[in-house]
Amino acid sequence: MSTTTSKPAAAKKDTRVIDGLNLVVADSYALMALTHLAHWNVEGPDFFPLHKAFQEQYENLFEAIDEVAERVRALDAYAIGGLSTFAKVAQMEEFKSPMPQKDYVAALIVAHEKVVDDATRTRDLAGESSDLQTQDLMIKRLQWHQKALWMLKSYLKP
Amino acid sequence: MDPAICSASIAAECASSHCRQRCALEVIDELLREEDGVSGEEADLLLDLRWHLRQGNDAEGTLRLFCDLRIRMEQRHYLAFFRLRRWLENHLVATVQLCPAAEPHVTAVKFDRYCVEAIRRVCLCSALGRGSVMIAPRVRFSFQDITIVAPETTRCEAAKPVEACSAA
Repeated sequence: MSTTTSKPAAAKKDTRVIDGLNLVVADSYALMALTHLAHWNVEGPDFFPLHKAFQEQYENLFEAIDEVAERVRALDAYAIGGLSTFAKVAQMEEFKSPMPQKDYVAALIVAHEKVVDDATRTRDLAGESSDLQTQDLMIKRLQWHQKALWMLKSYLKP
Repeated sequence: MDPAICSASIAAECASSHCRQRCALEVIDELLREEDGVSGEEADLLLDLRWHLRQGNDAEGTLRLFCDLRIRMEQRHYLAFFRLRRWLENHLVATVQLCPAAEPHVTAVKFDRYCVEAIRRVCLCSALGRGSVMIAPRVRFSFQDITIVAPETTRCEAAKPVEACSAA
């Protein structure tokens, strides 16, 4: 009996896709830190629902970061890491607490929009290089960020 | 980050040296496109603010208009006014002179208050924190120098006047 199989199609290593994935890792890490900060420092009449909602969001981001970084490894490349590297790559401004509770929500919306921009570009690049697994992962992340944006924006409605 | 697709008014790259002025103008254009959320008077004021931002030479007038609009509209358009506020915080500075002979002290402008005089007072207090004696103090607002980056051609029609402006 043969101990080898025909070589499966290896994932295409497209540096643009890998750079895109690493950007999404950095964005997500920065957003997770901002969401955690909002979770700690938010104050006001809506403290409890916002505190809980922010916790759900940073927990989701924590799992997503691992999944996206592991996709980079699956493409035979290395994931970026380290707080200063993430901050430099993601380019997200930190909050200056204390802020009104609505400002935390608005600032997180702006940060989510940055992730959506970068994940959309990575999704499209993955499509161009026929990397459907990465494309699928980005679509999944985009769906979650779009849902988070809908919820955050709904909170700001009068 | 590609500044042509920057939508983040709080992004660290949103600095005066390489800012897209259209960030703020796009927010105003979006507000103007809303069918129900903006009254006729508010639309007039938004157009005035848009004109001031395009001119970029009357920070005091820009600030007064923004504060007026903020009081009228912020609760209905919180996110839009957050974006405008952050854009202005990144592009306005206050020059504080504690007395006519003193060295001017340039300070950031923060929008923790809703009226220009209250914002001016906060700027003055930040300079007073340095232990100086105040004699005939002056606080002047000004825009930081703005270099508009090459515009993206696929953007909305409303952004085109700025492209023409930067090309000139």
